[in-house]
Amino acid sequence: MQNKIDELFKSELVVVNIGPKMFGDAVRKQGAEVIQVDWKPLAGGDKEMIAILEALGGI
Amino acid sequence: MESVIKVYPNQYYDSVQLMFITSALKKKQGITTVLVAMGTQANKEIFIDIGMNSKSVGEAGPNDMIIGVSALDQATCDQAIEEAQALLKAEGAAVEDKTSYSSVKSAVQANNKANLCIISVPGEYAKAEAIKALNSGLHTLIFSDNVPLEDEREIKLLAQEKGLLCMGPDCGVANINGKSFLVGSIVRKGPIGICAASGVGLQEVSVLVHEAGSGISQGIGTGGKDLKDKVGGLTMLSGIDALEKDEETKVIVLISRKPESKSLESVLDRVAKCVKPVIICFMGCEKEEILKSGAVYAHNLEAAARKALSLAGIVLEEADPEKVQELADAHATAMSKEQKYVRGLFCGGTFVEEAMVAMREDIGDIYSNAPLSEEFKLGKATVSYKNSVVDYGDEEFTMSRPHPVIDTEPRAMGIIREANDPETAVMLLDFVLGPAVNSDPVGSVINNIKEAMKIVSDRGGKLAVVASVCGTEADPQKRSLQQEMLREAGVIVCHDNYQAALLAGKMIKSKMRRA
Repeated sequence: MQNKIDELFKSELVVVNIGPKMFGDAVRKQGAEVIQVDWKPLAGGDKEMIAILEALGGI
Repeated sequence: MESVIKVYPNQYYDSVQLMFITSALKKKQGITTVLVAMGTQANKEIFIDIGMNSKSVGEAGPNDMIIGVSALDQATCDQAIEEAQALLKAEGAAVEDKTSYSSVKSAVQANNKANLCIISVPGEYAKAEAIKALNSGLHTLIFSDNVPLEDEREIKLLAQEKGLLCMGPDCGVANINGKSFLVGSIVRKGPIGICAASGVGLQEVSVLVHEAGSGISQGIGTGGKDLKDKVGGLTMLSGIDALEKDEETKVIVLISRKPESKSLESVLDRVAKCVKPVIICFMGCEKEEILKSGAVYAHNLEAAARKALSLAGIVLEEADPEKVQELADAHATAMSKEQKYVRGLFCGGTFVEEAMVAMREDIGDIYSNAPLSEEFKLGKATVSYKNSVVDYGDEEFTMSRPHPVIDTEPRAMGIIREANDPETAVMLLDFVLGPAVNSDPVGSVINNIKEAMKIVSDRGGKLAVVASVCGTEADPQKRSLQQEMLREAGVIVCHDNYQAALLAGKMIKSKMRRA
């Protein structure tokens, strides 16, 4: 199972950034590819609704 | 006094952006209280605490932004609200409904080479995002904190099951494949692999290694709570496995504040089986216990860097004790009779601990908001007592503000406050550089330092300011430029935090002898 971490160490980084853009920008400036996810709480932050949506597998 | 509270439904902004705006507005004249934040439960409680308890705040949800301002008059409140809106607009910060990627799933579908996910959402949502990222096959780096330990273990067990690396929650620094993440410094690649449960610990050792001419193979941040027994050191254990297997890593360094007992035992058992040399800097652990695992013992971060470099064939010169003493004596001589104590104002939590341990031998116990022993806990972090060292990254300062490596204002105010205390003799400071921290950490407080020196000299004394800069020439702020700015102001700049603390302690001891 360790192979996946070893594989990461030998790969070009392609980073998904969920949250403040500044953290993604800092990595992009160092030459890595960064994909920004513009996150906000689902279902207006209603936890029960989030749980239902997740159970439906839609997110 | 007038207060205005405005709620903006369905306008989501990330917390860091809103903290910057809060900080910017706090500096405006006439404003007494201001908070710009999303309507999460935690934030709504802060609004109530600061006396902004309105029906609209109570009804706001996590997708609604709230601006609350108290000022001397209505016009100042209105102006502040307008300014907040202008700042948000200027940054183009609003997250619009039509974005390319709204979830991890869609991001990975769009780029199947994605391999690492940074997660810095509010703590209560971090677990869900981490699980989604791991299930999408991504290694994770979780900056979010306030994640319950049970949830942290669950996330890490899932990562383990999938063979993926899970750094954090509460991970502030990492260096993967030569790239600096979050608030870390830029360092070159090299033979030394680090796995650390302390962000600033990982950064300080990486920086010292870089500045000595060597480099880091991988810098794995485990998150500050990985070595709590409820988590069980899962990331540190998989980090050791990974670094042992990694061909580029020749020496492994492990860093943490004192781990809990079962986690410590698991890590030391694993270290005993490791085929590569391991250096352990677990502050507060007994040397003999570490040595039994076959590891090299390091009592502080500087020693960890020194020993790792030595194994990589590089000698890091130690400071000459005689010269340190001479410098300490020279400064102690110039101080007034009232000046007695050291006052440390720190950004890095582990630096606080390293400094207290370094000074303890010379000046005894030290008061702090993060003391080595609970009986020396300061009642209030903003009120120092005798020899005191304060962690400005503590929750008391970061509840509604960015961390002091980003927002330097609370510490700038602390510098003046300490100078106004006639008993302050030595001020001890750390500065942290990197691509995602304050763009000019020294420049943003240098006038406060100069003013502090003047306050003390106007009273007939002389303030000794001792500092270290944790960063490299490759960082955007450049270590040498930041150090130079300090030196020009008359600050004594030491090689690293340990050396700075050692000198500060010797100055106080020398002053005590003269009293």
